[in-house]
Parts: sequence; structure tokens; C-alpha cells
Amino acid sequence: MSLLLEYHNLLLKTLLTERLNSSTPTGIDQIISDFDNVTYHVSTPEKKTQILISISIKCFQDLLQHGAQGVLEREYGPYITETEAGYDFSLLIDLEALPEDPAEREDLVRRVSLLRRNTLAAPFEKAINTHHQLAEAAKSASPESAPQQNESEVMVIRYRDEEAMYIQASHDRVTVIFSTVFREETDRIFGKVFLSEFVDARRRAIQNAPQVLYRNDPPLEIRGLVDEQQQQGQGEIGYVTFVLFPRHLTAQRREENISHIQTFRDYFHYHIKAAKAYMHSRMRRRVADFLKVLNRAKPEVEEGEKKERKTATGRSFRVQA
Amino acid sequence: MASQTPAVVMDNGTGFSKLGFAGNDSPSFVFPTAIATKGPGGGGGTGSGRPAVAQKPSYLTGGAGPAGHLSAKRGTEDLDYFIGDEAIAQASGPGYGIDYPIRHGQVENWDHMERFWQSSIFKYLRVEPEDHYFLLTEPPLNPPESRENTAEIMFESFNCAGLYIAVQAVLALAASWTSSKVTDRSLTGTVIDSGDGVTHVIPVAEGYVIGSSIKSIPIAGRDITYFVQSLLRDRGEPDSSLKTAEQIKEQFCYVCPDVVKEFTRFDREPERFQKYVVEKLGGKQATVDVGYEQFLAPEIFFNPEIYSSDFLTPLPTVVDQVIQSSPIDVRRGLYKNIVLSGGSTLYKDFGRRLQRDIRHLVENRIHASEVRSGGVKSGGLEVQVITHKRQRHGPWYGGSLLGQTPEFRSYCHTKAEYDEIGPSIVRRFALLGGPGT
Ligand SMILES: Nc1ncnc2c1ncn2[C@@H]1O[C@H](COP(=O)(O)OP(=O)(O)OP(=O)(O)O)[C@@H](O)[C@H]1O
Ligand SMILES: [Mg+2]
Repeated sequence: MSLLLEYHNLLLKTLLTERLNSSTPTGIDQIISDFDNVTYHVSTPEKKTQILISISIKCFQDLLQHGAQGVLEREYGPYITETEAGYDFSLLIDLEALPEDPAEREDLVRRVSLLRRNTLAAPFEKAINTHHQLAEAAKSASPESAPQQNESEVMVIRYRDEEAMYIQASHDRVTVIFSTVFREETDRIFGKVFLSEFVDARRRAIQNAPQVLYRNDPPLEIRGLVDEQQQQGQGEIGYVTFVLFPRHLTAQRREENISHIQTFRDYFHYHIKAAKAYMHSRMRRRVADFLKVLNRAKPEVEEGEKKERKTATGRSFRVQA
Repeated sequence: MASQTPAVVMDNGTGFSKLGFAGNDSPSFVFPTAIATKGPGGGGGTGSGRPAVAQKPSYLTGGAGPAGHLSAKRGTEDLDYFIGDEAIAQASGPGYGIDYPIRHGQVENWDHMERFWQSSIFKYLRVEPEDHYFLLTEPPLNPPESRENTAEIMFESFNCAGLYIAVQAVLALAASWTSSKVTDRSLTGTVIDSGDGVTHVIPVAEGYVIGSSIKSIPIAGRDITYFVQSLLRDRGEPDSSLKTAEQIKEQFCYVCPDVVKEFTRFDREPERFQKYVVEKLGGKQATVDVGYEQFLAPEIFFNPEIYSSDFLTPLPTVVDQVIQSSPIDVRRGLYKNIVLSGGSTLYKDFGRRLQRDIRHLVENRIHASEVRSGGVKSGGLEVQVITHKRQRHGPWYGGSLLGQTPEFRSYCHTKAEYDEIGPSIVRRFALLGGPGT
């Protein structure tokens, strides 16, 4: 089923799997896009056996401030190479120096196709680590000692032109807030329906799910942080808050939850669009039925009289000369 | 440089969709234009009449799965489908039926097409359409309503940032600019686009299709596959599935200069007969002999009577007729730049044979008119058929070339323009890649 979006980049994965398992190296020069203004460049600038993979990611500066370098070094250590001009980060895979073990090669492909995911994971990892530290500190502090700081600063990741992610750690939770723009009234409505289902699903006795909240104005945590500049665009802004509790932040579950939360925005918009497509197909059927009835009743409708046309959403337009 | 998102180029053909990003030299995805939906034969949604609410992701149900909740079962049909190779795989099992939303190059089922695009964009290309400009292709003589439907989906369902719809033949001309034989980047020429479903011969003058002169031929890739299959069956080969026939066609077939001579050559040189090994389920193999079909199958373009009883005009004659019916002042340019495009023009020596046959037709006509006018020599006429590296995905590649130019975005219609004027806005596009760009 196509309900979920994958975390890895399919194209990057297919391309590298093919290249790493082929005995005849070929030249590559491909641009690959990914969600949220991510662009990859895969090329063989020096030799056909040396594949350079570069990523450009809009919020790289924000991510660097929150530990991206460390995460990338941990994940890609020996493959990191001098960054290609115009990009933010580059890896080099030498086909002549690949791991012998096919499982290791596969793991390399998997990790590289998660480049976007791993780069974006840095602030989440940082928040989860901070949460654990604060929780420890809160535990060891005696109840009567002076109230200490048990919340971190809010990290702001401006990952799209008009949208940002805000992440805050505290001793008992990690809060993630997405601001998202609805370009259209219909999108906003579908988004609301989708989110109320979301919140609903959680309420129905499913204790393990993160808490989700939706509102039209900036939540308390981020007031004053919301970037005026980012607000200048057109379209209405909504805020979706996820609250991750300690049970979501355990060593076993954190990786998966980081991946899930990251893709939320894309997933959300994917579903809004799917819902619209579905609605349109039902409308098309209705219009077709309606026209049948109409044609039976009035066989001689004149073409020239059709001054107005309607789209599937019911908007009408005057026909241009 | 990655300062601007690359344009998305999508060429949806009868048989295959070619998808990718402008600036690349090949499409990122090529897969069947097929969709598998729930229920036999697909046939669109279930018409349940419920509002579409997307299913909750598993993490909201905490891994408990959607089971048990009535509401969890509702409204998932909007995402319960597969496209491309996955669709073909699913449809071979129970539960899903397969549909091909494009027939003869034109979209027939908009519901399926909309979902096909949805999945192409989000699951395969992984782009947020709001962030990208799109270049889509259309067959020659696409009805304007069809363009408007496309625009409606791209702008209203997907909110894409901008849209350009180009005629496949014009893009195929642009693709031929990579050939060293093409000296001026002109958009005048005759395109022979032969894919899976139909073969079109399309005259284009300065970027505009001469609609009244287009001809289509009901012989294309699928027919050639069927023909190979019938030959395999007649001989009682151990495997004569469509897949095998298609593989043999793509790997072995070529165009010969003369069928009679080729037959005798085969009889003289038995090493011309080949073998094709089919890997079957369970590690078994079947060996299929490959004989005369190597040159006989593509021959149906040149001698259609060996395959069909109702379409009998050879392709070179059709090309000549198309050019002869075009305005006289462009004919010279049309003969000089005959460009091949599409999967079914890839046979070895296809272009060479075509060029020779068209030349014959032209020379005979010139000769006849010289005789009629009492021996006055005419200046002659250059006939050139362009075979080039990018021919296989010609329309996609042309789209990739034009979509990466700095001016591309200014030729698109934007979401804002669409909102203001409506779907009719896409009835006209300024000519991309035309003179002055
Ligand atoms: N090397 C080859 N030799 C011969 N035929 C080939 C080769 N490669 C692909 N084909 C055939 O080309 C056809 C697909 O071509 P193409 O992708 O241009 O068609 P399409 O765009 O889907 O269809 P259409 O243009 O008719 O809408 C298939 O029939 C395939 O078997
Ligand atoms: Mg085609």
C-alpha cells in the first residue's frame, strides 16, 4: 500500500545499488530532488569508478548549529570528502575500494540513500540527548532545592521558505512544532479534517502514540521565535505540535520516531493532495452522471451558450475568446 | 548548482512513462503507464460516497495497527493502489486489477491518471509539487479539453508552482540537436514517433505542428511484438510468451536492405540463426530459436501487408505523403530533417532504410517531372533521416533540455495565473526553444 512515504530516496538507492553491483563503471551526472528543497548531485567528475554524492539542503546552517557535523561524521566517516561547490556536504564512494562483504555494501547504499534523513536527524538527536540529561538532573535534584532549568532552548530549523520546525527538550518530553502553509482554502480544510482524525486516533485508547495538537496561532513555546520574514508569504499558516514522551524516546524507539516525525510535513501534504484527487474523481463521476441526465432532458443544448465552465472543485470560469 | 529546484519532466506514453528532472541526460524512472487498483479490472474508486480521509499512519496508533477501529478502515481507497512495475506485479496476484490510463497517446481515464501522477510525484520523484515547475508532454492533436483537465489536476490537486505542456514531436526535434548531423537548432522537421501504441508522422514548421498533415499508422511496438510472438508460436517454440517475444524483438531485431536477399543470406550462413534462453520459475530454462523474425518483424513498417490486411501503406510512402501535403515553402526543411523518436525506431539500420526508400520516392517524382517538362533539370532535394543517441526517450530528453534553460520558467503558466484565469489558460503556451530563445 502506498500509505506511507519512505524515508530513503528511492532514486539514490536504485542508482547506487545498480552501480555498486555492476562490473562496468559508467559516467554519471544526475540531479536528484527530494522533499523540502533537498537536491542531490550524483556524478563521476574524476573517474568512472569514483562516485561523488553531494547534497544541498536549505536549512544546513541551522542543522550545523545543532550537531549535524557530528551525526554526519558518525554515519559516513571515511566517505566524507571535500564539499562540492554549490552544495552543503559531499560523499565519495570509490568503487575500487568497496567493502568485500555484500551485506556491508548494501548497508552503505542504505545509509547513503538516507542522507537527507540523517542530516535532518541532528537536532532531534540533540533534543533527545538533552531530554535524558535534564531528566537525570531532575531525578537527582532534591524537591526542596531551588527550581532549576528543566527546559532547553527552542531549536529553529527553517527547512522551507515559509515553514519551520521548532524542537524543544525538557525533562519529561520533547516537543516538536511544525509551521505549515496552506496555499489554498481547500487544503486548509482537508488538512483540518486530516488532523482531527489524527488527534482522534490517538485519543482512542492508543496510549503509545505521541500527542498531536493543531492550532492556527503560534503555540506558547515558540511565541516570539516565529520568524516575521517567513510569515510574509501568502497562504494561511497552521501549527502542528507533537509531544514525545519518555516512552517514545527510548534507545529502541528513537530512531524510528525521528524518521517518522521528520517526514510528517511531506506526509501531511501528500495526504491532503491524495484526498483532493479522490474528491475530484468522485466529482467527475457526478458531473458525468449529471450531464447524462441533462442531455436526455435537453438534447439541443447549444454549444455557444456555454459561457461558463466549471472545474471539478466547482469553481467557474468564463470561457476565453 | 542547486539554487533553484529542477523542473520535473514527465512524458506519459501509452506504454511507458518517462519521469525525471530537467538537466539530466536520461529519465530517472521509466515504467509502464499502468495502475493497479482494488477489485478486478480496477474501474475507478468504489463509489462508497464517503468523504476522503486519509488513513492514520502507524505511529499514531502506536504500532497497534489499524485493526479493530471502524474508522480506521474508511477512506483508504484513495491511497490503495500501485503504479508502474509494482502495478504489474500486484495485478498478477488476487485483489487488484490493472488499467492503462492512456490509450493511443491520450489520457482516457482521468481518475487513474490523477492517481498515477500523485504517486509518480510523491513516491517516486519525491517532490513537493508546490516547489517545482513541471513540463508535461502531449501527443499531436491533443484536444484542448484534455490540456485543461491536465492543468486542473496539476494546479488544483497538486498546487504545482508552474506548468508547461509541450507537444512530444516538438520536443523530439529539440532532442535531435545533440546529433552532429544537426547543424542549426531549428524546430523545423518531420518527426517519426513510434512508441508502443501508434506511430505518428508529424511535420513541424518553426515549432508549430502542421496539424492538417499529420498521419498516424496503426503499427507500432506492440504490433511488432505480436508479430514476433505469432512466428514463435507457428514454429512451436518452447516459450512464446509476450515477454519473450518482446525481449527477442528488442535484443535481436534489425532492418535489412532487402528481404529476399536476407532470406538467402540466412540459408547460406546458418550462424545467423540465434538462440535466446528464457529463465523460468524454479531455475528451469527454455531455449528459443531466433530466426527470420530478426529482420522480418521490423519489416512490417516497410511492407505492412505481411502483418496487416487493412493497413497497407509503407512508412516511407506515408512520410512522403505527409511532406507533400504540407505547405510548399516548408517541404525542403521537412525532407532535410526527418527525426526519429520513440522505442520502436531503435532497430539497427531503421533510419538508413527509411532514408533510402524516401530518397527513391523523391527521386522518382523529380525524374518524372523532369521528363514531363521536357528535360529541364531540377535542383534536387536533400533527404536526411536523423538517427541519434537520445532517440529512445526523445520527447523526455527534449523536455529535459528545454526545461533546464534559464528562460523556461517564464514560459510556464503559474499557479497564480491559473487561479486568476482558469483552466483555459493552458490552451496557449509561448513556444519554448523557438527563434529568439
Ligand atoms: N531496443 C529496442 N528495439 C525495438 N523496440 C524497442 C526497443 N526498446 C524499446 N522498444 C519498444 O518501444 C516501445 C516503447 O516505446 P516508447 O516508450 O517510445 O512508447 P510510449 O511513449 O509508451 O508509447 P506512445 O508514444 O505510443 O504513446 C515498446 O513497444 C518497446 O518494446
Ligand atoms: Mg511516446
